[in-house]
Amino acid sequence: MSLFEQIEPLLLQVQKPARYIGGEMGSIMKNKDDIKARFAFCFPDRYDVGMSNLGMKILYSCINERPEYWCERVFAPDTDFEQLMRKHGVPLYALESLDPITDFDFIGFTIGYELCYTNILNMLDLAGIPVMQKDRGEQIFPIVCAGGSCCCNPEPLADFIDIFFLGEGEELDLEVMDLYVKMKAAGATRSEFLRAAAQIQGVYVPSLYDVTYNPDGTVQAVTPKDGAPATVRKRIIENFDKCYAPDDFVVPFAEIVHDRAVTEVLRGCLRGCRFCQAGFLYRPFRERSPETICSQARTLIDNTGYDELSLCSLSTSDHSQIEQMMDGLLTFTENEHINLSLPSLRVDNFSTGLMNRLRRVRSSGLTFAPEAGTQRLRDVINKNVTEEELMRTCRIAFNAGQTSVKLYFMMGLPTETDDDIRGIIELAQRVVDMYYSMEKRGKGKPVQISCSVATFVPKPFTPFEFHPQDTREMIAHKQKILEEAVSGHKRIRASWHFPDTSILEAVLAKGDRRLCQVIYGAWKRGCVFDAWSEHFRYDLWLEAFEAAGLNVEFYANRPRSYDEVFPWDHIDYYVSKAFLIRENEKAKQAQTTPHCRLQCSACGVTKVTGHACFEKAQE
Amino acid sequence: MLPVRAVFEKRRRAKYISHLDLMRCMQRAFRRAGVPIWFTEGFNPHAYLMFPLALSLGYESGCEIMDFRLDGVMSMEEAMERLNRVLPADLQILSVAEPAAKHTDITAAEYRLLVPCAYSTVSPDALFAAWEAFYAQPEILIEKKTKRGVSEIDLKPNSEVLSAEQTDAGVRLSLRMPAGTSVNVNPSLLIDAFTKYLAEHAPELKTGMLRAERTAILCADGSAFK
Repeated sequence: MSLFEQIEPLLLQVQKPARYIGGEMGSIMKNKDDIKARFAFCFPDRYDVGMSNLGMKILYSCINERPEYWCERVFAPDTDFEQLMRKHGVPLYALESLDPITDFDFIGFTIGYELCYTNILNMLDLAGIPVMQKDRGEQIFPIVCAGGSCCCNPEPLADFIDIFFLGEGEELDLEVMDLYVKMKAAGATRSEFLRAAAQIQGVYVPSLYDVTYNPDGTVQAVTPKDGAPATVRKRIIENFDKCYAPDDFVVPFAEIVHDRAVTEVLRGCLRGCRFCQAGFLYRPFRERSPETICSQARTLIDNTGYDELSLCSLSTSDHSQIEQMMDGLLTFTENEHINLSLPSLRVDNFSTGLMNRLRRVRSSGLTFAPEAGTQRLRDVINKNVTEEELMRTCRIAFNAGQTSVKLYFMMGLPTETDDDIRGIIELAQRVVDMYYSMEKRGKGKPVQISCSVATFVPKPFTPFEFHPQDTREMIAHKQKILEEAVSGHKRIRASWHFPDTSILEAVLAKGDRRLCQVIYGAWKRGCVFDAWSEHFRYDLWLEAFEAAGLNVEFYANRPRSYDEVFPWDHIDYYVSKAFLIRENEKAKQAQTTPHCRLQCSACGVTKVTGHACFEKAQE
Repeated sequence: MLPVRAVFEKRRRAKYISHLDLMRCMQRAFRRAGVPIWFTEGFNPHAYLMFPLALSLGYESGCEIMDFRLDGVMSMEEAMERLNRVLPADLQILSVAEPAAKHTDITAAEYRLLVPCAYSTVSPDALFAAWEAFYAQPEILIEKKTKRGVSEIDLKPNSEVLSAEQTDAGVRLSLRMPAGTSVNVNPSLLIDAFTKYLAEHAPELKTGMLRAERTAILCADGSAFK
């Protein structure tokens, strides 16, 4: 019986079966007999989340460009379908061929969020692949690999993953696949292949490193063996304008989170906000030219049939030619009823020119992220945004007829006081006051300011990696302050969450290899989909910590000294620790650092690339 | 502007596309195919597409109807060819023509169903006998969920068994059910009633997952809706 016949009777018993059957427009079918290596691209969350991921779309198309490779999609089945799969002995399968992934050459996970770690284990188990790396024997396939931003600290997953891909995958993934095909043909064993792969820049094979610990539980040393490099440096694409970009997407039937065409306009970020991991991980800043962006967007719209186009980057308004880019895009989007959306705009360079172009776009409300309520704290985190700039931007938006603005903040930032928390609401109230001071304001609808306040998670490769996270009690206290501050303000709404998921996120982000047994234990106790509040079981996680003889506080709430060996110190993301220390010291003094286009801060990138990130302005 | 009525099929993988998702899928297919479809006017223009009769999730069909209007110089045959090139293999347009009947002319639809035995130990003989006894009842009452809430309907006057036969796998049925804008009865309701009947009268008989296909959409005079 084929797997299709096996799953068919199950599909009508589950929610949204279209997620489990493939066959979408743009999905790539190949003949198995022509294929030298099969890659199961696994997203450790549900279809509707994974199908929205741009990294997956890029690498799916990139690998499938090569006729001899076939990349297929795999998502975590929701719990209702998983139960049926286990009951009826249906192994995890790929959506294109509907073949079980057990015999694929590569099982590759993209990992962008710490709270999906248990799903990785669960998916391997559903596929019938040993969860532990050491149990996979000497057969060369399947190679379990992982990439994505969380791999900057791969240690908590070291026991489960054969190979980590560090940095950008467009070239790296194919190089590793080429090596694999060559070695498989020559009859190589798994460990022979892993040793050879470790020589490729960007490949980290955790089983080739021994970790020792100090009596206090901190890392003593990470020692490479079998010729593996002492530090593993991430890969980047030097010429981003000419870099591979997909000209088609798999267009789902079922609704997904971001159901639209997406064009990447720039990679990296020049801002250096000290809390933001992405801002450091993806350096250097590289732009795509307006011509490339427009032609890629045009092709994507034609091929996918989407009626919505979104521009993707960490900070779209930092593109040096954004107005030219917008003009180019608007020439065809307007005529063809295509909705253009621009997330990730900054308030400090949001010009009237840009607003006028945005007004020609159907807009669903504006969102800005001041991140902190007071100027002092915004300086600490190097969010170089002033209150005047926020007010100016809101005024432009109100003038254009907007009446609701969403503001993002964090709590638990280094040096934060109760006054900084109250400052969030005070800032929002000044936006409200400004609205009512305007003579020409929108009639009818009252102004509404929504403040969404997240719990800060200190992350590796940021200047705040040395900082402890606020404890549960401290966060609870600050949430109470916030609640008191917002009461009575009719035009302001504030929202926040229980901090437990943020605490676990901090632990997993800054953890070491010993957390593998905690993750394993939590999964064994039934933890999956930890990112979803209806599934999250913090009590089971705490049990797993206790069983492993470890505790949350050691990882989340302990200040770390500059000379401590961090679990990720043998991983090189171009940004030097010396720079992070300098930035942390400046943060303590509430001193800001200008963005990279104004002045180079010697973060370490140019030492690797060998050239300045920006051309010096002509005198 | 040329009004077009397309007959399309929905099979295999495509039968899991819900009605709402089908709408979106088709809209994108028009853009992908470069077929100039007429957009509604007004504040929020959108591609004009009409599906006069929704098909239940999981049902196959070879007679689904989609109406649209061509807004430009392209023949409906070329539009069909272009759409088929960009649509999945399991979702293909079979024919195009100018609409003859109105949506309100639809009165019935025909279905072919297989009610399978759940396990090999369930005898097709016994299942077929149970079906005969079930359908011989003077009335078959079941609760039907509508937008206005739950109401009880009698399936006996609201269904017509065109044929019922016993096969190795179970019971094969041909049904005609009321369909259209005023009354619409899903054949799954009849199978739900049968399952309930089995639980009460013959608990040893269990049915497996229904296989269903819509075979015709009909007007009052019994002709196919065109």
